[in-house]
Amino acid sequence: MSGLSGYRGPSAKILTEAGASIGDVLEVQTGGESVTGTLVPRYEHNDDSHIVIKLKNGYNVGISVEKVSKVVRVAKGEAPKFVTPEKVASKGLPRVSILGTGGTIASRVDYRTGAVSPATTAEELYSLFPELSGIASITPEIVLSVYSENLEPKHWETIAKRVSEVVAEGVSGIILTMGTDTMGYTAAALSFALRGLPVPLFIVGSQRSSDRPSSDAFLNLIGAATMAVQADFAGVYVVMHADSSDERLAVHLGTRVRKNHTSARDAFESMGVEPVGYWSRQGIQVTEREAPPPRGEAEGFAAMPNFDPRVALVKFYPSMPDGYLGAILGSGLRGVVFEGTGLGHINSKNIDQVKKFVNGGGVVCMTSQCLWGRVDMNVYDTGRDLLKAGVVPLEDMLPETALAKLMWALANCKSADETRAVMQENLAGEITPRSVQRR
Amino acid sequence: MERQARATILPFDPEASQLRVGLEIHQQLATSTKLFCPCPIVKSDELPLSFERRLRPTQSELGQIDPAAVFEFNKGRVNLYKWNPESACLVDADEEPPHPPNMEAIETAILMAQVLGSGVVDEVHVMRKLVIDGSNTSGFQRTAIIALGGALPVDGVSVGVQTITVEEDSSRVLKEGAQAREYALDRLGVPLIEIALDHVVGVPEHVEAVALSLGRSLRSTGRVARGQGTIRQDLNVSLLGGQVVEVKGVQKLNLIAKVVRYEATRQMGLVKIAEEVKKRGITEVECKAEDATAVMRGTSSPVLKRILQKGGVVTCIAVADFAGLLGLEPFPSIRLGKELAEIARTNGLGGVIHSDEFVKQGISEEESVALRAVTGYDSNAGLVLVAGESAERVETVAGLVVERLRKTPIGVLGETRAATDDGETRYQRPRPGAARMYPETDIPEIVVTEEWKRSLRMAMPVSWKEKVAAYSKRYSLSEEAALQLYDSDNSKLFEELAAKLRLEPSVIASILVETPVRLSREGVDESKVTPEALTSVLVAVDGGRFAKEAAVDVLRAIGKGDARDVDEAVSKLGLTGMSDEELGKIIDGVLKRNKPLIEEKGDRAFSVLMGEVMKLARGKVDGKKVSKLLRRGLDEGR
Repeated sequence: MSGLSGYRGPSAKILTEAGASIGDVLEVQTGGESVTGTLVPRYEHNDDSHIVIKLKNGYNVGISVEKVSKVVRVAKGEAPKFVTPEKVASKGLPRVSILGTGGTIASRVDYRTGAVSPATTAEELYSLFPELSGIASITPEIVLSVYSENLEPKHWETIAKRVSEVVAEGVSGIILTMGTDTMGYTAAALSFALRGLPVPLFIVGSQRSSDRPSSDAFLNLIGAATMAVQADFAGVYVVMHADSSDERLAVHLGTRVRKNHTSARDAFESMGVEPVGYWSRQGIQVTEREAPPPRGEAEGFAAMPNFDPRVALVKFYPSMPDGYLGAILGSGLRGVVFEGTGLGHINSKNIDQVKKFVNGGGVVCMTSQCLWGRVDMNVYDTGRDLLKAGVVPLEDMLPETALAKLMWALANCKSADETRAVMQENLAGEITPRSVQRR
Repeated sequence: MERQARATILPFDPEASQLRVGLEIHQQLATSTKLFCPCPIVKSDELPLSFERRLRPTQSELGQIDPAAVFEFNKGRVNLYKWNPESACLVDADEEPPHPPNMEAIETAILMAQVLGSGVVDEVHVMRKLVIDGSNTSGFQRTAIIALGGALPVDGVSVGVQTITVEEDSSRVLKEGAQAREYALDRLGVPLIEIALDHVVGVPEHVEAVALSLGRSLRSTGRVARGQGTIRQDLNVSLLGGQVVEVKGVQKLNLIAKVVRYEATRQMGLVKIAEEVKKRGITEVECKAEDATAVMRGTSSPVLKRILQKGGVVTCIAVADFAGLLGLEPFPSIRLGKELAEIARTNGLGGVIHSDEFVKQGISEEESVALRAVTGYDSNAGLVLVAGESAERVETVAGLVVERLRKTPIGVLGETRAATDDGETRYQRPRPGAARMYPETDIPEIVVTEEWKRSLRMAMPVSWKEKVAAYSKRYSLSEEAALQLYDSDNSKLFEELAAKLRLEPSVIASILVETPVRLSREGVDESKVTPEALTSVLVAVDGGRFAKEAAVDVLRAIGKGDARDVDEAVSKLGLTGMSDEELGKIIDGVLKRNKPLIEEKGDRAFSVLMGEVMKLARGKVDGKKVSKLLRRGLDEGR
């Protein structure tokens, strides 16, 4: 690292005058006293009036520029040299592909400056996770470098295309690492785009950052790698901690998973169904529910990677202004998924607006903001009126899954009618015919 | 405390051998909530919730993993955390990012900086310090430097202050095993102030005086927690300019000198052993480890027999030219063999057996010969047996033992040791590398403005010396009694009771300060002698229910669990008071019995008579009353 990353204004000026760069050892004099240590980067959001020095004991302290009388560059900083770990021979083991999209499942800390950087090569991954070399022959690859909240349907397309290429190259399984924020959406999207996937694809991430010794990333990755080799099923799954302990991972079906906690390890839950199974160091335990599809042949598999992003997910709420809904419906969209109240309702005064949108060729689907249970639009008048207006009830499909599915259906169907039919068809476990789980 | 001129107990001259001790004090702050979450600070007796974690070493940019971290992970340890929502939350469970810091804690540190004349930093940066022994759920401790520099005056000498930091306390250890540790989360995240001092050279007792003085300064802020376990001292000990050994967790002040003496002696012992190694012409220690399970199969050594019966294994490490070195004791109980045994114990084995103790351990000459045959070394070699039920564990420990033996010529190794309750030190882990800190990005920097500092300067506490002098004056206490009171955990309680009760302040002070110490020496559980028990006893004495002399008996009964409260103690001890008539009878009896003595000694017999009456009255009456009536009796008798 060089330059003056993060410094601006007065602090940048005083450092530039001293000829200092990040990583240099400086003596910062303030009146009668002085502090000696390494200049470390400053974050963009910090003020421009402090210099941050890392002392010999490892601590950072900020010194007010106003007090600084002189900055002396004592020594030039040496760029940290990463000692590349030895290549690990894992020949003869099944191949597993790790596709990175931006979440840092594995990272190194530069204690000199405090910077955290992701591990990108197989050797680095092996050195961080020595167990991996005993599990599979890993081919890591960075497909995207995007924060989870910035992922868009076009990124799902990129991932889906790359997955189908990797499948054609012949792998035992695929691990997709990503940030957790929109992991549920991605899982759902890939479940449709990669229907008939002949190998398992495990999406993993970490709720607690991978630079910390307590990170959940380690177990999530090791478990996913083991299953990529050992699982006798195929398809798209999210694999994350089943509870707070570093012991059991839950394997969630891509279309039924939701992030239900902002920060906890077990944030991801299967909604309305049991997880497909659990993984622990003792092995994989598939739950007694509909059996996941078996592995298949790579030959003949073709992804349907396209999505049409012109879809909105609208959560209805009391007092939603007519103008707000009108603006959404009039913004050139091809489809809308409602997160309605209860059994699948919106204010009856808005029904005409919806009807107009449907008559204009739009597709409107209904899910429930209850998340648990299924919509039933025959119970109340409003529901029946919405049905009459052309709204498609989506049973117990999760709103986020419905959004991804509608984007996918619109890109792959020839007509609005076909899209409506596809939306009501269970393609990837997104609709369960029987309600068995209460909560 | 008086500084002693020279510690005669050290078997060598501390100054000539450059004995250096750096002191770090960790003091819990009396904030109402934890440092990075709003959990109240309470000790939970019930811990209904739990989870298990394994901490992994993380890697630095240089491709290196911290040695201490690898050491912990090699042990493959699972940490079990137990908690109660009354005293911990998801932040403590490492399931939620930290909340903004408790500003009261930061302010206390700034105050302390002002007391010690330290320079407060302009911008506080919270760091993550890697600690992966499991005591922090995250694998790091959050810590921040608040001030640098300053000085602590001790007995006319000034000891430099290095840093003042605020950090979160670790989890409370419930159970410690080689494979699993159990922790409680109630203490995790409690704010601590850490003050690191420059090292002092020489006398162990001086180190203790420094710690006492620093503790008093901390208490002068009125913002620190009191009671057992609220203060811990770490000592960085080195001699002859050798590597520094970090001794963690000296809980009692009066153990500091003893711990320093032990550790210094241990280090000097290792230096002497290293000298002996050099004398033998060994520059590189040659070790070889071989499986010796088959050789030891028929052994009569009780320890090995037990292990082998359970299907365990034995590894024999031969160390060339080390015969006699493993059991060599340059000072009593300081041996290389003991160092090896500690490594084994830390890693889940019972210890090691070395050739200098074969006879004592029941290993025969034939077995010794066979072991040498297996390893291919002659009788000049030292042998170390590592045995255990798990082959994997034995291999790990054997590797660590070999590593330790190879370093014998270095003498003292930089490592982290724990202070024991009896004033010794015990191996814990290699000393962590210095570069294992990085910023806690979840917490924004805190700018310390001049204005803030100025407003805190207004709240500067009165120094402890002034406070002690004030006690002495206000309550007519001797200087010593006032200082004892200040040092005790009950000074606040004293102030409250002195304002409320009619009893002499000196009586209140003596019951509050001396009784708990006396009972603790008798082996009564200190924690049972609660402020509530002390208060109710003093109220009872104040109300004339029993004599002040009986307070200790009442508290003993409560402390031992013989009585639930004062009422029960009074009735069990038969302290239900005594009528004047009864007392008069006792005095008459005593006067009659001692007539010859009174005639001989006159007034000088008073104290003897007084003692006898008090003994017979068994604390049922107040000494003053006895004195008055006895005096009257004496006068009348004449």
